[in-house]
Amino acid sequence: MHLKPAERDPASQPRFYSALLALFILWPLFQAAEVSPGALFDPSNLKVIGSFLSGFLPPERGSEFLGYLGKATLETLAIATAGMALAGLLALPLAYLASAAGREKPTLNPLIRSLLTILRGVPELVWALVFVRVFGLGPAAGVLALGLTYGGMLAKVYAEILESVDAAPARALRLNGASRPLAILYGVIPQVSKELASYTVYRWECAVRASVVMGFVGAGGLGQLMDQAMKMFNGGEAASILITFLLLVFVADLISSGLRRSLDQAPPPSAAPFGPGSTGLLAIFVGAVTTSFWFLDIGFSALFTLESASSINQFIGSFFPPDLSAAWLSKVAQGVWETLAISAVGTLFAAVAGLLLAQARPRLLFNFLFNALRSVPELVWATITALSVGLGPFAGVLALALHTTGVLGRLYAEALDNAPAAPGRALRLSGVPSGLAFLYGTLPGAAPQLIAYTLYRWEMNIRMAAILGFVGAGGLGQLLYFELSLFHYAQASTVIIAMLLLSIAVDQTSAWLRRRMA
Amino acid sequence: MSFALNGVGLTHANGFVALDGITLQADQGEHIALIGPSGAGKTSLISLLGTALAPSSGQVSILDFGQNTASTAALKRLRARIGTVHQAPPIPGRQRVITAVLAGRLGQWPVWKSLASLFYPLDIPGAREALARLDLADKIFQRCDQLSGGQLQRVGIARVLYQQADLILADEPVSALDPVLAQSSLQRLIDDAASRGATLVASLHAVDLALNSFPRIVGIKAGRIAFDLPASSVSEAMLHELYASEGQILPTQSNEACFTPQAASTPPLRSACT
Repeated sequence: MHLKPAERDPASQPRFYSALLALFILWPLFQAAEVSPGALFDPSNLKVIGSFLSGFLPPERGSEFLGYLGKATLETLAIATAGMALAGLLALPLAYLASAAGREKPTLNPLIRSLLTILRGVPELVWALVFVRVFGLGPAAGVLALGLTYGGMLAKVYAEILESVDAAPARALRLNGASRPLAILYGVIPQVSKELASYTVYRWECAVRASVVMGFVGAGGLGQLMDQAMKMFNGGEAASILITFLLLVFVADLISSGLRRSLDQAPPPSAAPFGPGSTGLLAIFVGAVTTSFWFLDIGFSALFTLESASSINQFIGSFFPPDLSAAWLSKVAQGVWETLAISAVGTLFAAVAGLLLAQARPRLLFNFLFNALRSVPELVWATITALSVGLGPFAGVLALALHTTGVLGRLYAEALDNAPAAPGRALRLSGVPSGLAFLYGTLPGAAPQLIAYTLYRWEMNIRMAAILGFVGAGGLGQLLYFELSLFHYAQASTVIIAMLLLSIAVDQTSAWLRRRMA
Repeated sequence: MSFALNGVGLTHANGFVALDGITLQADQGEHIALIGPSGAGKTSLISLLGTALAPSSGQVSILDFGQNTASTAALKRLRARIGTVHQAPPIPGRQRVITAVLAGRLGQWPVWKSLASLFYPLDIPGAREALARLDLADKIFQRCDQLSGGQLQRVGIARVLYQQADLILADEPVSALDPVLAQSSLQRLIDDAASRGATLVASLHAVDLALNSFPRIVGIKAGRIAFDLPASSVSEAMLHELYASEGQILPTQSNEACFTPQAASTPPLRSACT
């Protein structure tokens, strides 16, 4: 550079070094994620995925198969509903214990809080995988797994919702001599009932998706059917299942948003606090939960016999102590690194694709594409990408990228719509091509929002990357799946602990980042 | 004896001294108005009497109950006998008026009754009677977020009427009401206390309202008691001394021309506005 210091852009040096640093970090990440675009076009891979995809048409419509499909769909719904009921049972007392609401001194309960962290820090898929080994293939494992993870999640969010509102009413009631439970019922619940119900319904919608995914490890429902179809390369059946699944998610979404909207209406003034609407909803809710447990026919009584208790005890005992030998720890560390690499590279791909597609027109068409991409869970994508590039981390990268492109594309498009329009328009009016007007005028306004969305998504993808390996897409999940299959429980235990620690670390880091950015 | 404070001080965690050396006693059935500039410690004193705050020094005895040696159950029983009207009514917006009023007796009702009352209000006549005294009987089944600020404040008063407490504490209970409604609502509270022989302690920003309605006036300034006198003995000069930090004009009910420093000297204060 021959420029005098005064004429040099003072930002150039930091930018140069940041770019260098980014390259320095990204290169090993790409290495670890085994990114090899060539594999996509490898002739033998192309043949496999080609024949599989061509089998998609026509979707299987045989009456026998449709019968299975119908039963599996009901089973998925029942697992989600029963799992949520269990989660709610677990969450209510835990949230009460963990929350500071209604306490005169805002003390938190560290013991319960850490229990919640453990419950939701281990993904439901891992619980399902473990429970399948105790209770055998079938819905019981799925229901219990959902109950534990979602119980922890609901409890945490319930506790936070209870704390988030005006504390004065409950405090005033305590000062009139009301006990804490009553002070919460009369002083806090009326403020938060809508939010609690809304979040619960939203979680039920997530549970439907989760129960499909858990089927892949043998916990019943649509997922298990899909897994069988994929293993037999039966494209027609896979297509039918996929279509059913998309419809199911769509309907669950409709029900969920309908229920949440109905919460907004104020009841008519009458002596009874519940109108016919809420009474009807309550009846439906009770009916749905009862029907679900009846349909699944889980022999819970069999689970609580002395015999099964001792076998569960023995099973849990075999996980302890975890294998902490240096050799295994280094292997697990490698798995953590691979998981991070998969999540980072997958998110990066999705961010680039999402940003490009977010501006593509016609918008309606691309919105449909985004919706289709994001309604297929990452794990289902992974089974397909594993067919097209072979088992390994790259399949995980592609699966994450496909799903996340759908999510981020949608979010980016909204953020860009909401960004100030004037700067871009002014540039276009002065003859700047629209692409450049976007870079100079629109993008700077939307950038903070885009970055926030991307980081948030990356956070979720780290958790997801940890379990994608169950279908062979690398990372910690693959390690866990192998060790469990080989009955190496001490080693599996180490991997589960690593997943838990990773989840907690991500939690803490993102909370810290949010605090700093706020 | 309704309550007795002996040399009570209250220092907040940040070192701010809210109350200092307060000695104050009241017999059962007395009506006392607390007046003083904002920040003087009126709310702190009411919180102390309501057992919301514990004193940093001195002795507090409320309804013959030594607070310093309280067990949880005994404290709860005590609290059920204390009713507080808050300046900002502590009532959830989505709660219905009937439930908000019935909540006044949560400390007295058995648990099953409190729980059942969430599903169907168990004392509609009682709540309606309390609301009727404040001209709100027609709002009984409305949701609180459909009420105006003044209506909500009166629901807060109705809750305390319904509670039938032995010690009624009121922190600026009528601040959101217009002068006429303020006078009448305060009078309901006073009548209720008088009819049941309950003690009433109210902090009021409007000096005229205090002087007109309460026999005993306690002036608070900078966390200390400035004077504690029968209303008839409170002089103009004392009031100006009390409110010196807030300028020349004494705080009264809004738009009342009858109470200005110039005009006040000739007609006696308490009859000027009636």
